[in-house]
Amino acid sequence: MYTIELSKVRKTYDHFVAVDDLSFNIEQGSMCGLLGPNGAGKTSTIRMMIGITAPDSGDIQIFGKPFTRTSLKRVGYLPEERGLYKKMKVLDQLVFLGQLHGLEASQARQRALAWSEKLEISGWLQNKVEELSKGMQQKIQFIATLVHDPDFIVMDEPFGGLDPVNASLLKDVLLELKAQGKTILFSTHRMDQAEKLCDSICLINRGKSVLHGDLKQIKAQYGKNNVQIEYEGDGDFLQQSQLVGSYNNYGNYVEVRLAPGADAQQLLHAVAERSRVSKFELMEPSLEEIFKDKVGKTDA
Amino acid sequence: MHNMLLIARREYLERVRSKAFLFMTIFIPALMLGVTVVPSLIAMRASGTKNILIAASDRETADLIRKQLEHSDEVLDDDTGNRNKSLASRYQVDATTDVTDAQRAAMTEKVKTKQLDGVIWAPDEALAANKATYITRDVTSFIDRAVISRSVSRAANRRLLHKKGLGDIEIEAALKPVDMETVNPAGTGPSNPMTTFLSVFAMVMIMYVSVLLYGINVMRAVLDEKTSRIMEVMLSTATPNQMMVGKILGVGAVGLTQIAIWALAAALPSLGLLASPGVLKGVVSVKLLSYFPVFFLLGYALYSTMYAAIGALVNSEQETQQLQFLVAMPLILSVIVLVQVLQHPETPLGFWASFFPFTSPLIMFARIALATDPVPPWQIAISVGLLVVTIYGLILLCGRIYRVGILMYGKKPTLPEIIKWIKYA
Repeated sequence: MYTIELSKVRKTYDHFVAVDDLSFNIEQGSMCGLLGPNGAGKTSTIRMMIGITAPDSGDIQIFGKPFTRTSLKRVGYLPEERGLYKKMKVLDQLVFLGQLHGLEASQARQRALAWSEKLEISGWLQNKVEELSKGMQQKIQFIATLVHDPDFIVMDEPFGGLDPVNASLLKDVLLELKAQGKTILFSTHRMDQAEKLCDSICLINRGKSVLHGDLKQIKAQYGKNNVQIEYEGDGDFLQQSQLVGSYNNYGNYVEVRLAPGADAQQLLHAVAERSRVSKFELMEPSLEEIFKDKVGKTDA
Repeated sequence: MHNMLLIARREYLERVRSKAFLFMTIFIPALMLGVTVVPSLIAMRASGTKNILIAASDRETADLIRKQLEHSDEVLDDDTGNRNKSLASRYQVDATTDVTDAQRAAMTEKVKTKQLDGVIWAPDEALAANKATYITRDVTSFIDRAVISRSVSRAANRRLLHKKGLGDIEIEAALKPVDMETVNPAGTGPSNPMTTFLSVFAMVMIMYVSVLLYGINVMRAVLDEKTSRIMEVMLSTATPNQMMVGKILGVGAVGLTQIAIWALAAALPSLGLLASPGVLKGVVSVKLLSYFPVFFLLGYALYSTMYAAIGALVNSEQETQQLQFLVAMPLILSVIVLVQVLQHPETPLGFWASFFPFTSPLIMFARIALATDPVPPWQIAISVGLLVVTIYGLILLCGRIYRVGILMYGKKPTLPEIIKWIKYA
């Protein structure tokens, strides 16, 4: 059962194609990362999913049915540009947003109280939003997204601008919600985050889907042909093109992509000849590398 | 519908609870009182009792002038229809029959050194030429000037008639002013045209200020949601039209509440002293009080819809100036037409302006309030009907601008861009 299915969705603004022929699904109870560089069409895609804009063509199914506004009561949306009524009291605001999502006032109040207890912000419920620190406002914003207990949670760049404490808090909350069977989609341009959290990903670039599916499968497809090497001494081995397909030097260590058909053992010998090896690890490629690989190919 | 009411309710409660609402509710009537009543009160009371010396050639003339001055409340009575007791004991009057130049110089010196507040110099030669002089430091006090000039004139007239051999009763009869009553052909005219004029003018001006004020409030509210970026959170459950209409309803209800508070306060007898209910009786009728909210709400709905679109178009209040002016133009025009309608309710200009939706809220209301033959119901119905249709059309049109505008940040859109937004299906 898919929570959301996009098929051949297209959106243009004037002559600019923001989303082009995009198709992907998200399994219920999974966490999906919508990845891509800035301007790839992530926000445009998300806005179409929740009916803020309509696609020019293509089809969107939500909770197994064609899109209707009533299904939005089951969606929690955190936009990239956060916003709350600055002069409104925190609790009033949460109750109001809960009511807009179809809750009774008393129920909304109860949920808001429970969430603020959990996120340790109960003491601030009677304050105006503008009186809160930025970190607190972010917590309130999470609660605003989650207060109506949505089945599908959509977050546009949720980690952008978060301090480490709140980022880890949000991560825990998201994992907990996933364990409860909620479907979560979040967009990010930071591959490492998606890599840590997501079950599936959809990589887009210039409005087009570059890669989508189960994250583990995708990585398995690429195989363990990456090597992380920490060494002291001569880096000449990097130039041996029969062994090294490409490499990325991070300073403290270097990540090497083996050339097609090359053997990792040969590379180890080549490195050991001229320098001291302190670490040599065979590993799956990082999402970032897969992305660079894919985007490099489509751009070429 | 549910969303729309929730949005309206939030808007209403947040505003009514705010300090700004309390402030405006008290401040605006206070300001109106301030600019109308207080200055005249100050002008009347400021100086307390004035010491005035009358210099006339004979005792009799001096006494006549003094008598007139001491009854100066009656003097004023003819002018304004208002009896003002505070003037009765305003002047402490002495008289002298010494009208030599030396005396004049001495008296002038006394005025200069503040031993006297004023000297009325009215010797026979001057009065014979219908002249008199008032020597004072307060040359700009128009009230003193009016009272004294009136008193001296009357005294001079009495003296003249007396010299012609008329008795006191005859003089009294001759000098009694004519009490003129203004009536229209139907015989139903207001008892006091000045009061009618002023009270209708005040009501229309309150309507004008409220429509403008609350229209701009809607614009600010939209802009505020846009700059605080809560717009997108809201859009994930509510449609742009629900947001726009909800906002307009909420702010409108605030306006109505405020006006109701003012109306109630004015109706309270204790505060009614200033508006003196007796005078307003027959002018502010139940009919007018029921038409006022109707035309206020229609006018407000019309203008606030346009203001909402402005709020959606721009990114900051500075950018709204020109657009605001453009929208307020017909409203300002209404006031210009109003000035004519107040004088002549039945002119063609007033007639047509009471149907044109952008001026009709103010002008139709003024016509209903002032017309001697009651405005036919069908005319009122057409005027209201046209307004409703226009408002509906504007909501559709501005709704489209609003829908696109609220998600647009960055540069202010150009006219062709706005037209394109409207065309988006």
